[in-house]
Amino acid sequence: MKILSTLYKEFLLLARDPGGMALIFIMPLALVVVMALVQDAPFRDYQEIKLEVLFVDADADSLSAKIKQAFAASPNVSLVMEKDSIVAKKRVQAGDFKAAIIIPQNTSAALRNKTRQLITTVFADFGLPAQADSTPLPGVDLKILFDPAIKANYKQSLSGAVEKIIANVQTAWVLDELQSQLGEGKPAPPKRDFKLTEIVRVSTQYASENKFQGLMLNSVQHNVPAWTMFAMFFILYPLAGNFIKEREEGSMLRLRLISGSQFPVIAGKFSFYFLVCLTQFVMMIAVGIFVMPWLGLSKLALGGDALNIFITACAVAMAATGYGVLIGVYFKTAQQALSFGSVSVVILSAIGGVWVPVYVMPEILQSLSRFSPMSWGLESFNDLFLRQASIGVILPNVLKLVAFALVTLLASVVIHKSRTVV
Amino acid sequence: MSIVVRLDHLTKQYLKAPRPAVSNMSFEIPEGAVFGLLGPNGAGKSTTVMMLCGLMRPDSGTVSVLGLDMQEHGAEVRKKIGVAPQEIALFPTLTAHENLVYFGRMYGLKKDEIKRQIEKYLSVFNLREKAHKQVGTFSGGMKKRLNLIAALLHQPRLVILDEPTAGVDVQSRNMILDFLTDLKAEGTSIIYSSHVLEEAERICTHLGIIDEGTVLQTGTRGHVMAQHPDCQNLEQLFLKLTGKNIRD
Repeated sequence: MKILSTLYKEFLLLARDPGGMALIFIMPLALVVVMALVQDAPFRDYQEIKLEVLFVDADADSLSAKIKQAFAASPNVSLVMEKDSIVAKKRVQAGDFKAAIIIPQNTSAALRNKTRQLITTVFADFGLPAQADSTPLPGVDLKILFDPAIKANYKQSLSGAVEKIIANVQTAWVLDELQSQLGEGKPAPPKRDFKLTEIVRVSTQYASENKFQGLMLNSVQHNVPAWTMFAMFFILYPLAGNFIKEREEGSMLRLRLISGSQFPVIAGKFSFYFLVCLTQFVMMIAVGIFVMPWLGLSKLALGGDALNIFITACAVAMAATGYGVLIGVYFKTAQQALSFGSVSVVILSAIGGVWVPVYVMPEILQSLSRFSPMSWGLESFNDLFLRQASIGVILPNVLKLVAFALVTLLASVVIHKSRTVV
Repeated sequence: MSIVVRLDHLTKQYLKAPRPAVSNMSFEIPEGAVFGLLGPNGAGKSTTVMMLCGLMRPDSGTVSVLGLDMQEHGAEVRKKIGVAPQEIALFPTLTAHENLVYFGRMYGLKKDEIKRQIEKYLSVFNLREKAHKQVGTFSGGMKKRLNLIAALLHQPRLVILDEPTAGVDVQSRNMILDFLTDLKAEGTSIIYSSHVLEEAERICTHLGIIDEGTVLQTGTRGHVMAQHPDCQNLEQLFLKLTGKNIRD
């Protein structure tokens, strides 16, 4: 009854505190939406962005035709024709384009000659009739110019794509040359079109259940659970603030004077803010599902079992509330508590992978992240949402969160009692 | 007459303080008394009250309240005493009624009892019409009256009041003092810590004048005054015992 009374009292106090309500419910929603929007592009990693690349075709032959043909089918690169390579360089330098591909004059011819020379040399080595020409031929000098501000992985992708096209062309020409050399003096055999790309087919897919195929870590899948946890841990701001305010205003003194009220006061506050955390969770998940698509982002997919998601949310809520209670009990002034509390939440969130996923952090931070309750929570949510993990997989992290909550609560009760009564 | 409070060689020194706040203090308060705990600033009144309520542990000596040792039976004692601290120990954004219901529940009172007590005291202290207004909107006098009600809900046998009339208007002060006189008549023992000597003279049956952590004079008001026939009133006696130097 005492716990319920405290819970109701906390409800009334919060309901009459518009600033606290905004901090608990409005700010986190704004935060999760803004962060998901801001991080959308980096998360998409240019996969869905169509980049325009200048194309200088001084060759005007089969190689440049193959490159144009390949990029015409690409959803990510669109070639913009430019005649002058100097102009192309200037435009890339100016940042108008992220890259320029320059195919010099006679590149196809040079490549073809090189290929022919290679085959004849091989034939000659095996004693087959061929006229090997040992005159060194000039190298094929194809250029790709990059804007210095381009992301490294995009640079790599574009170079890789061009190299792959050239390799394919060269392989085709090697085969052509082989056919031609072997058939010399005989009636020409029918020309075979080898589908090189079909020799070995590489298929990629995510190791998820069929119905969740295609579900991957994107801005929404990362930011919604991550910032939800951040908001849940930020409950310490109103919670610790309320604790200290009651102490400063004197109402806590009266409660200290009432026998048997210490546990109900802490338990009641804990229960109330635990429920607030769960409410935040539900609201932010709802934003992920219903609001994010409306903003042009992906819809949050809850891949896992609903009960497991609820268990994880409860464990995170317990840990967040326990931490808030401890901060409120331990610090003597609001300034100390709120400064320490908010900075510590930012640090825990940073090393916990809220701002950027843990796997992109330096090794030392990846090691530190193991000690952040937010990392335990986020890992569990990723396990559930993306990998459809079972309770057995998330259980270690859930238990860590619950243990964290129990330790912080126990410490709070001990500190509160030691400062309270004889 | 039984003893409700017994302080026996009580001593308390704060960390880094040059001298004890309370030093070897001993006195007794009989049941049904209104005991005025009087002293200038820094005399040790608040420290004594804190130890009486069990909010602070003495360095040495014992406190016995209602026959129970405070250190051993603190929780049991607190169920039987009511304390109105000097600060307004209420939630300003809750209404008067909500505050009292909450504290009543924390005292472990039943719903009917809480209702009955709230109605009774809101009437006595003329706060009925304001029962559903938030405490933050109350005047100083109203807050002090409500603060006192919150200490009385569980019908304590001993009430400890720390400056209950500080900062209130004449009407509220008069109402509080009249109420305390009635409460005493019902047999409740009261410890009244105050600077206002005329109030002490009006309601206290017993006095304890303290300074620099020690008891200077204690006993019934008549007995204390009789020890100093040259003093016309309590104020003269107080100044005689504690001196005229300003205390900050």
